Amino acid sequence: MKRRGRGIACMWYPIGFTVAANPSAAVVKINEDGTATLLTGTVETGQGSLTILAQIVAEELGIATDDVHVVSADTDTTPMDTGAIASRTTYVTGNAARLAAEKAKGILFEVAAPLLQVKADQLEVCDRKIQVKGFPQRHIDIGDVADRARGVNGQPPIGSATFNPATVALDPETGQGKPFATYVYATQIAEVDVDDETGEVEVLRIVASHDCGTPINPMLVEGQVEGGISMGVGFALEEEILFDASGRQVNSNLTNYIMPTSLDMPEVVVEIVDSYDPTGPFGAKGVGEPTCVSTAAAILNAIHDAVGVRVTSLPATAEKVYAGIKAKRAQEAKQITAG
Amino acid sequence: MTKVTLNVNGETRTASVPPEMTLLRLLREEFGLTGAKLGCDVGDCGACTVIVDGKTVNSCLMLAPQADGRDVLTVEGLATMERLHPIQKAFEEKGSLQCGFCGPGVIMSAKALLDENPDPSVLEIRDALAGNLCRCTGYSKMIEAIQDVARGDNRQPVGESA
Amino acid sequence: MEKKPAAVVEREARVETRDVVEMLRAPAAAPLVPLPLEVLVPEARQQTPAVRQRATRPDCRLHGLGQTKYIDDMYLPGMLYAKIKRAGIASARILSVDTKEAEAMPGVVAVITGRDVPVNSFGPSLKDQPVLADERVFHAGDGVAAVAAVTEQIAAEAIEKIKVEYEPIRPVLDPFESLKLETPGLHAPNPNIYGHKVIKKGDVAKGFAESYRIFEGSYRTQMVEHVPLEPHASIATWDPNGRLTIYSTLGRITLGRADISRTLGVPMSRIRIIATIVGGNFGGKNEITTEPVVALLAKKSGRPVKCTFTRPEEFASSTTRHPLVMDYKTGVSREGRILARQIRLVLDGGAYCSWSETTLGKACILSAGPYQIDNLYAEAFVVYTNKTMTGAMRGFGAPQVCFAYESQMDDIATALNIDPLEIRMLNALKEGSLSPTSQKLHSVVVRETLLQAAQRFGWNGNGARS
Repeated sequence: MKRRGRGIACMWYPIGFTVAANPSAAVVKINEDGTATLLTGTVETGQGSLTILAQIVAEELGIATDDVHVVSADTDTTPMDTGAIASRTTYVTGNAARLAAEKAKGILFEVAAPLLQVKADQLEVCDRKIQVKGFPQRHIDIGDVADRARGVNGQPPIGSATFNPATVALDPETGQGKPFATYVYATQIAEVDVDDETGEVEVLRIVASHDCGTPINPMLVEGQVEGGISMGVGFALEEEILFDASGRQVNSNLTNYIMPTSLDMPEVVVEIVDSYDPTGPFGAKGVGEPTCVSTAAAILNAIHDAVGVRVTSLPATAEKVYAGIKAKRAQEAKQITAG
Repeated sequence: MTKVTLNVNGETRTASVPPEMTLLRLLREEFGLTGAKLGCDVGDCGACTVIVDGKTVNSCLMLAPQADGRDVLTVEGLATMERLHPIQKAFEEKGSLQCGFCGPGVIMSAKALLDENPDPSVLEIRDALAGNLCRCTGYSKMIEAIQDVARGDNRQPVGESA
Repeated sequence: MEKKPAAVVEREARVETRDVVEMLRAPAAAPLVPLPLEVLVPEARQQTPAVRQRATRPDCRLHGLGQTKYIDDMYLPGMLYAKIKRAGIASARILSVDTKEAEAMPGVVAVITGRDVPVNSFGPSLKDQPVLADERVFHAGDGVAAVAAVTEQIAAEAIEKIKVEYEPIRPVLDPFESLKLETPGLHAPNPNIYGHKVIKKGDVAKGFAESYRIFEGSYRTQMVEHVPLEPHASIATWDPNGRLTIYSTLGRITLGRADISRTLGVPMSRIRIIATIVGGNFGGKNEITTEPVVALLAKKSGRPVKCTFTRPEEFASSTTRHPLVMDYKTGVSREGRILARQIRLVLDGGAYCSWSETTLGKACILSAGPYQIDNLYAEAFVVYTNKTMTGAMRGFGAPQVCFAYESQMDDIATALNIDPLEIRMLNALKEGSLSPTSQKLHSVVVRETLLQAAQRFGWNGNGARS
């Protein structure tokens, strides 16, 4: 008989390396037509980080995402970046990219200020224009300013910047200190059916509420959460590299190493919680790794809720769950006999 | 060597291949169609999925001579100069692909499904993608995109297809 | 045996091997594939302000068209294909490596062993990993030799012809055996416990003494593979100025260049790393694997060389997620507030250190969970075994410890008959809370995520079940 259960798990996760420096550098070049090119040494490994970085640069320059082209991942042409690791790209590379864009924008403001007859610090960007704060009708097209910066002022608008998260070393005895600049938080709730005659677990639904600071691109945040959950489902129920007695892997292939397919995935509901981190680019933190952290815990708690069995070793295969159910029944039978 | 003549994306192609060559290697190495990917070479991951005579196959498992005289459609055969295929468009709009390595295979599985069943249920979509492993997306946005296409949100004349 | 010029070998190969060489030549020109060049830019990409837009990804369009060029889709003129011979034995001394028969095979252009690697060690913290094992095999996935040949198939056949003589050494597979003092050091003089971390806050003894109840639990997790759909791959090519270009699936080109520079003994200014679009990473593509091997083979052969992992290599010869054994002891008040927590973590580090130091640190700091705990003692060890190396994988130890602390949290809730949501709300970190390392936290939204998830799920209050 199928028994339904639900389980909750929450987590926290840091952005960036543990104390160790993990800087990013970035270069933003504003083209003569007001579009921009970002140079970054980070690598697009599927997360959509280049699109996120383009959005951050676009926001800083008051232009659209499509106006920014990103050149990445070449040690000859792009500035140093610690890379696609530790959920750090949005926060660390994003901060570097924003700062680089801000510097390039500063050059445009210097060029635009005399034209608009104000000081540079009275200017702002909006909808591909440079305008006077509080007087948006006084504006110049950003492309005109960029072209003028090059052709009249002889000052091509290029900015470069670096960013490294602020940390404090840990005391070697007590581990006390500030290992990370910021953290994200999340809760996932799983609903499962457990077949109490086979131990088989079906994950029906996972509701995930994640903090990533400001979601630079909610669609890509959802994609990260959904993907992280699939990895968490595999971690919870299926995946395990097995070794023989001599230390050789026995299932080093996708036939016998079982990872989630489209049929194993539950319905996933993603919520992004309201959050803003003043130290992140436009309030953003990060989202890559944390998405897979609490899934297995939530599923295992749901199994416990369904059949009263606490599986303490992952993955919770049908064999393990069924062994737990049998042991529990035996225990209950003994109590009844004793009673 | 065996002479193989087949229709690939609407064009007749011929190659002289050793009998043990797979269709995947024929497409990638002889015809330069690198859309279908080699992810495992033993039919587990589905990254090499193409459509042969209307049915999806793992092209790493099919020998090139077995494709002789047949119609093969690869991901390169979906778009035209004018437009993306509705599935490609929906996948782009939904952000259905992340690293993208599984994408061509998934899209071919989706195409075969929708050709046969224009209005699939979520379970039918999941079933059609079961042979395509994806590690990035959890499949959610792929399923949503395929539903969009089925609902006609992205429906437009598809043009010729094998 | 005097080495024949590469051109002669290849010419001979083309004549002597079956049709396969003929057949696997590169296509003369890429075929015409019609591309939709004038597709409209999706609306969300044209909006300002840009942040918070559901902007589409330009790379996603290329993925969907099958036009993204991953390493395996790239070909350079004259390129050779490399295969790496794997030890297949978990622990052994290498007595000899005989490559003569492989070298003599038609179509084989270059062969290298561990002895050909100028500086045969690397690693992000400890430099304990060889490019190719030379004296000692530490796990079954270690490479011992590599071949570059005119086709992938010839390279695969050639590595079968390489004869390696091993003196087996009993492997240590259990991290608890490795922990014992009497177990000989796997990487002597390095101790088997190659990383240790302590987080100490408050007074756990006092906290336990004040507790209404104390809960103890032990939890274990397994070894997991990243399974990027794209296997690790790289292509190396040298120019006549002695400059090396490597196209690679690395997610960290800065570290990659440093390690390639070290292992090859080539200055960084002469190395260019280009990471193409990478087909999945999840932490598994943060270190060099094939890169120095293809660089050395390319240098020896004078031709570009590509190497792509097979799926079994992806499992056995790249990093994996650390298995953990986690012991938790938690003291709580009658209301369910955590008063003290003591944790011991043992990480099975596998054959090499890789990113174990980072995993150890993050696991230890995060092991308390997102909760306010004044009295905490967390200790973590990572030990060598002769299993597949572990390293960075999405979450760096966090999914493991979350499984432990959240399992125990529910056991506490059940025992005290408190709703699982409520006990978490009661203990959750808040704005300004001090972390286990006494860091004052900002932008803390644990409770907000708990409430949002519970509301969306339909988690009704007082839902505690026995």
